[in-house]
Amino acid sequence: MTSNARPGASRRAVLKGGLMGAAALAGGAAASRAAASESVITEIQDWNRYPGDGVDARPYGTPSPFEAHVVRKNVPWLTSDTISSINFTPLHELDGIITPSGLCFERHHSGVAEIDPASHRLMIHGLVEKPLVFTMADLKRFPRENRVYFLECAANTGMEWRGAQLNGCQFTHGMLHCLMYTGVRLKHLLDEAGVKAEGKWLLAEGADASGMSRSIPLDKAMDDCLVAFGMNGEALRPEQGYPIRLVVPGWEGNMWVKWLRRLEIGDQPWQHREETSKYTDLMANGKARRFTFEMDVKSVITNPSPQAPILHGRGPLVLSGLAWSGKGRISRVDVTTDGGRNWTTARLDGPSLPKALHRFYHEFDWDGSELFLQSRAIDEHGFVQPTKDQLRSVRGANSIYHNNGIQTWHVNSDGVIENVEIS
Amino acid sequence: MWKSPKAILLAATLIAGAIGGAEAQDIEAGEKVFAKCKACHMVGENAKNRVGPVLNGIVGRAAATIEGFKYSPAMSKAGADGLVWDETSLAGYLHDPKAYLKGNKMAFAGLKKDEDVVNVIAYLASFGADGKPAVPGKQSAAPAPDATQTATAEPAAPSPETTGSVADGERGLGRAATPEEIAAWDTDVRPDGVGLPEGSGTVAHGMEIYDERCATCHGDFGEAVGRWPVLAGGQGTLQAERPEKTIGSYWPYLSTVFDYVHRAMPFGDARSLGNDDVYALTAYLLYLNDIVDDEEFELSKDNFTSIRLPNEENFFDDDREQEPFYADRSEPCMTDCRPGAAAITMHAAVLDVTPEDGGEENASGGGID
Repeated sequence: MTSNARPGASRRAVLKGGLMGAAALAGGAAASRAAASESVITEIQDWNRYPGDGVDARPYGTPSPFEAHVVRKNVPWLTSDTISSINFTPLHELDGIITPSGLCFERHHSGVAEIDPASHRLMIHGLVEKPLVFTMADLKRFPRENRVYFLECAANTGMEWRGAQLNGCQFTHGMLHCLMYTGVRLKHLLDEAGVKAEGKWLLAEGADASGMSRSIPLDKAMDDCLVAFGMNGEALRPEQGYPIRLVVPGWEGNMWVKWLRRLEIGDQPWQHREETSKYTDLMANGKARRFTFEMDVKSVITNPSPQAPILHGRGPLVLSGLAWSGKGRISRVDVTTDGGRNWTTARLDGPSLPKALHRFYHEFDWDGSELFLQSRAIDEHGFVQPTKDQLRSVRGANSIYHNNGIQTWHVNSDGVIENVEIS
Repeated sequence: MWKSPKAILLAATLIAGAIGGAEAQDIEAGEKVFAKCKACHMVGENAKNRVGPVLNGIVGRAAATIEGFKYSPAMSKAGADGLVWDETSLAGYLHDPKAYLKGNKMAFAGLKKDEDVVNVIAYLASFGADGKPAVPGKQSAAPAPDATQTATAEPAAPSPETTGSVADGERGLGRAATPEEIAAWDTDVRPDGVGLPEGSGTVAHGMEIYDERCATCHGDFGEAVGRWPVLAGGQGTLQAERPEKTIGSYWPYLSTVFDYVHRAMPFGDARSLGNDDVYALTAYLLYLNDIVDDEEFELSKDNFTSIRLPNEENFFDDDREQEPFYADRSEPCMTDCRPGAAAITMHAAVLDVTPEDGGEENASGGGID
């Protein structure tokens, strides 16, 4: 079985595939329909003859072994230790708008906390009438909601400020996922404790060994935030904050505190590490923006892309990608194949939900010529995704965070694709 | 089981006696009996929860409803199931707490004399819920002295929404957080000093702790090992091509250092440092950043907010919507938007820093945290 497994897509293999595809088509479209018989059809295959595994062989189902390459990946040089590090969602292998639970990127500051839900408590205190403690059972007695939201790390695409660096949308854009969350409104929990009039900010704190903490304006907390215990219909995965995490729709991922254990109400922000020394955006003039919570309008072409080259040669090609905005729905995505000279509006497919990923497609016939692929998202409030040059002209190249610039993929005549910047 | 027939019988007897003659209840005598309770319970205007809950307004109150007191599961359940403290139930409970409500945490054997029970209840009934003398006539909100009725009182907790639209307001879920619990988790510190614990520590002591517990990752002088965070230096680099963002060059508030070291450091053994150690380490980090220059400098709760970090003023609130490409919300160009063909100015493949491609020493930087 492993002998059939797809090998890692080395650049050499990609090149070969591209050339063979082009050669096969060289004979002309009509001739390509004629072909020799294939043994996978003319010969009886093992799976067609012998029974496979019975039920319960995998009590919790796992993907086909032929999909073993579809995994999260780390960029080892970024951090000193995987305990405080990040890995990336393989966007180029996925479709639709929901990220499979096991492929959602991970960002931990002190590893994955393993918490028995029976030992987990959520405390609300500070400027409230009644400081309260909830058990998991208590939380599940509040009215529940199911909502689909994207989560993007503010540092997504952060390695690309100085120019093209990482070859693959998994690495350039993979600090991103989109799930259906099940949880309870944060507002209901805060109402239970009774927020006092002078309460203006909320501190959310995790139970992990980093004690992750972020200040969140009370207006946002009372608006659409959730305390979630479910993802994609099942319990949160440990690496996503089991048993509960905060959901802060449209806002930077760092604020979605995992392993949530404490909510304190105060009259001013706490100015903790993750909102001062980190997650502030240094400008060229040496000053820094703070409280840049909202994620900007953004998109990326996931196929084709450096890790997903064109293997089929000329002819019909499905271009696909993702678009999102922290302000609401995506109203339109434009794509270009000539580096932004002429644009075509792509086809949005699937549900269009506020603050969720949107899937777009653009089908065209590739003639085998060089392409410069880009996508440009526009949200329902009219915000247009800027170019990287536009961003750098205002912010410089040291912001780290909130790089939502238009991404360029260069396609050569062999179908090999590279992350580039163009003039 | 709090509806024990024996207790109800006893209570009914006591109440019958009380009704028979007002003088059977003696508030003054009750006060003397209460001396046995004082070790754990308070009454009056300044009463607080101690080992046991405040007893102001106890007569007529639903069980297990004093805020901030951690009741036993048994008592909480009894309260949720509708137990109300009236003369009947209190009499049964005070006579033999363990038998009346199995699993409750009151470590008191009980009042064996019936008159002590009646008198102490009269004494307790003389305090209103605010600890002031109870208003005559409102002294007890207890229902009629019919033991069977009180024993089947309606549950006090409202039931949660299960159908229709979601209602706002309280659901009676969760329990009061105790002051001890809040103190255990609430270690956060703000720039105005709110949250700072008592304590102090010197630069010299901080250096000892730092060398032992911090230098492995952060370097002998805060310069860092590998990609662990740099803590010192970097002043004047924020406009440079490669800014060095440290406590001295970038962080706006010293309180952030204290809070973070206290909650998350040392990496791998978080929350193992005492308050004095954290003050000392914070003082040493000021020293490494040339913000204090005296090794004998002592940082404490008292002088903490007098120290300001140099970069405090250089932060401004989010104004992205004013950036030209956002402020101008016009329709983007669709045709002939740029002159001539695109030309590549930078290749990722030249850098070759993508995992599996090797060549990571070429990484041009960019962080994730």
